[in-house]
Amino acid sequence: MLKKRFTAFLLTLALAATAIPAGAAEASDQVLSVAVNAEIKTLVPWAASEENAFLVTNQAQEGLFRMDAENKPQPALCDTYEVSDDKLTYTFHLRDGIKWSNGDPITAGDFVFSWLKQMSAEATNGYSFIMTDYIVNGQEYSEGTAEADTVGVKALDDQTLEVQLKNPTPYFTNLCTMIMFFPVDEAFYESVGDQYALAPDSMVYSGPFTITEYDPAVGATFVKNDNYWDKDNVQISNAKVRVMKDAAAAFNAYQAGELSYVKLDSANVIANQNSEEFSQTIDFRSTYIQFNLTDPVVGNVNMRQAISHAIEREALTGFILADGSAPGTGLIADGMAGNAEGTFRELNGDVTSFDVDLAKEYYDKAVAELGSAPAEVKLLVADDSVSKSVATFLQSELDKNLGLKVAIDTKTVQGRSELMDSNNYQFAVTAWGADYDDAMTYLDLWTNGTPYRGNYTNDDYNALIADAKSQTDDAVRLDDMLQAEKLLVADDAVVAPIFHRGSAALTKSNVKNLIIHPIGVPMEFKYAYFE
Amino acid sequence: MVKYILKRLLFIFVTLWIIVTCTFFMMKQLPGTPFDAERFSIMTPAQQESMLEMYGLNDPVPVQYVKYIGNILHGDLGTSFSYVNQDVGSVIAGRLKPSALIGLQAVLIGLAIGLVLGILAAWKHNSGIDYLTMILAVLGVSVPNFVAAALLQYYIGLKWGILPIGFWTSWNCSVLPSIALSFSATAMVARFMRTEMLDVLDQDYIVTARAKGISQMQVLMRHAVKNSILPVVTILGPIVVNLMTGSLAVENIYSIPGIGSLFVDCIKANDYPVIMGITIFYAAFYMLVVLLVDLVYSMIDPRIRLTKGKED
Repeated sequence: MLKKRFTAFLLTLALAATAIPAGAAEASDQVLSVAVNAEIKTLVPWAASEENAFLVTNQAQEGLFRMDAENKPQPALCDTYEVSDDKLTYTFHLRDGIKWSNGDPITAGDFVFSWLKQMSAEATNGYSFIMTDYIVNGQEYSEGTAEADTVGVKALDDQTLEVQLKNPTPYFTNLCTMIMFFPVDEAFYESVGDQYALAPDSMVYSGPFTITEYDPAVGATFVKNDNYWDKDNVQISNAKVRVMKDAAAAFNAYQAGELSYVKLDSANVIANQNSEEFSQTIDFRSTYIQFNLTDPVVGNVNMRQAISHAIEREALTGFILADGSAPGTGLIADGMAGNAEGTFRELNGDVTSFDVDLAKEYYDKAVAELGSAPAEVKLLVADDSVSKSVATFLQSELDKNLGLKVAIDTKTVQGRSELMDSNNYQFAVTAWGADYDDAMTYLDLWTNGTPYRGNYTNDDYNALIADAKSQTDDAVRLDDMLQAEKLLVADDAVVAPIFHRGSAALTKSNVKNLIIHPIGVPMEFKYAYFE
Repeated sequence: MVKYILKRLLFIFVTLWIIVTCTFFMMKQLPGTPFDAERFSIMTPAQQESMLEMYGLNDPVPVQYVKYIGNILHGDLGTSFSYVNQDVGSVIAGRLKPSALIGLQAVLIGLAIGLVLGILAAWKHNSGIDYLTMILAVLGVSVPNFVAAALLQYYIGLKWGILPIGFWTSWNCSVLPSIALSFSATAMVARFMRTEMLDVLDQDYIVTARAKGISQMQVLMRHAVKNSILPVVTILGPIVVNLMTGSLAVENIYSIPGIGSLFVDCIKANDYPVIMGITIFYAAFYMLVVLLVDLVYSMIDPRIRLTKGKED
């Protein structure tokens, strides 16, 4: 009897053990393996809005352009292209003989199909603006007031794609490196319907790799795509993206040789910064204080100036975050495009700074104007660990440098956004990651006067942005944006930039040319190789 | 007996309905929406409308509730918001397997080691093994499982390289997480077993048994263990539920696609259908295990009657 029971137990165990995928045999050659810290919840192109989905998609799919090591777009599926004199019409010529992984030809029609999907009401990723802001009739199509055939994206023939823009957009080819602009095989999509992109075999691939395994909570496994046009230049044959939510565990996996690349948390940055495998990048992502201009206290411009000048940003990035982040002396992140002479940040210099005396001067002025010193101000923050340490830092800085008491109000990300949307906050710590490498990705946000953006309405600011959007002269356009940032941060102090997120990472010394982008698609496996 | 079980199942059904109702309305009070606020605010009204329509969020909450109850009565748990186009049932089922396997193994390890330690400690009361067991029991209960998990990963996985440091590719991957999870179960089982057995060993019938000259082993197995196992069965119910429904910390440390992290993620993302699906599953599972424990009682201990005997 007992023996029988024991056998039954063993059988149950054996059954349960089959729940594990049969030992995915590691190929004999090396596997490029990187960890991501959150799940890859969806790969449906018009539903995916998270960085990790972009990372996976970028290895398996390709658009007209692909970013190079300098974050500049290089022709990918597009062979050549022409821009009309008014800079409003782009004609892209696709390469000869490009194929999907199932052998179907990649046509201009596949681009039209996916772009229209991304602009339609079906798109749930919130990225439609990245097309509808630029493409003729895109907004109208998105709102359901224009037909598909009036939208400014057309297949002239199987190999020619014509795009009509509303305004001159010098960074349009940059946008084309983003996954929303990648094609989708229309015939294949129709055959799988709403199952598209849920599993490896419900997708076809246009990029350097195909996906052989995909589980939102586990990650994705890649093999080289033999139908890829540039396969001769792809040297990695096996790659993995692994979901590892625990930073310490990822670091252990890296040390055990299970990962080729790992992002470090601040605890490990200091211990490893002298390692040869160490590298650091500044993301195009700015964390800043958003002031609510309708609030009686921080509605006062001198109060905002005082707060902005009372923050010693170097102390925050150097000692508290210590993860490679850079102090935010402007809203636009370091390294973002300017002109031939320098980056946007270099051209505009510091638009805010740490200066205790100046801060006190502003504070006294603000107190005089308000009639009395505020007893306490309330800082709204999200409940992640970085935001909380930033908030604690700000609390101590404002108390120490201004004598201003700050109460910290911690909410979930959702809760914080809801309070900001309903105009129910004084000032809040929030962040914005650039969608494309141009200052407009930030500056455009403060033109709509919503509570989330502090109810800021300034006709001069709006005029600068409007002019920049319609300019054909790139120099004037840049100058408009430089002025707009000064107006927003230095003069009106609507926001107080705090820091630009950095990331520190280790890469195994035998892995070469694994390119990390600070924006859009985070990483390129295509050019990597083992030494 | 059958009548008793049917009655219990009816209670379970009613309780589930109450839990579903409470959770549904409380869930709707969660701040925020299932959508990224910054992204949602820049969508066109047509897209916002289509999103709300698609997820059935533009109806008033009571209407949503009625529709939801209708759907689950048809066995339809809906479609996840964050795992786009994926059926809630299959999302939960996929994530349940790793958690259930690890949990089951942890329960077995905990039971095996806990029982042996508990029995030995009581049998050799106030000896070295007794003190050792009590120290282990205190440690097992007070050291959080994520500490054990991190230590095991660092030493056994990384330093000594005996077992995988994580991931979910083969059965080997489940060993360290199972051990990490089993500590608290081991400790609890050992303590309960020891306490009850000390009590039993003092009983007259043990003295009688010994006086009859039965071997020590038979006294132990036939009289002592059998009569002290009941409290362990009682705590086994909660232990099984606790371990098999996943642990966020252990799953994150070992990168295991389990249900513990799914539950936390879906609450953070306001993924209503998944929150409801997991709640229903947890509640049903818990109540069924409790029912099972009650049935096992009556088999082990004839003094416990689930139904009134005729002679009463």
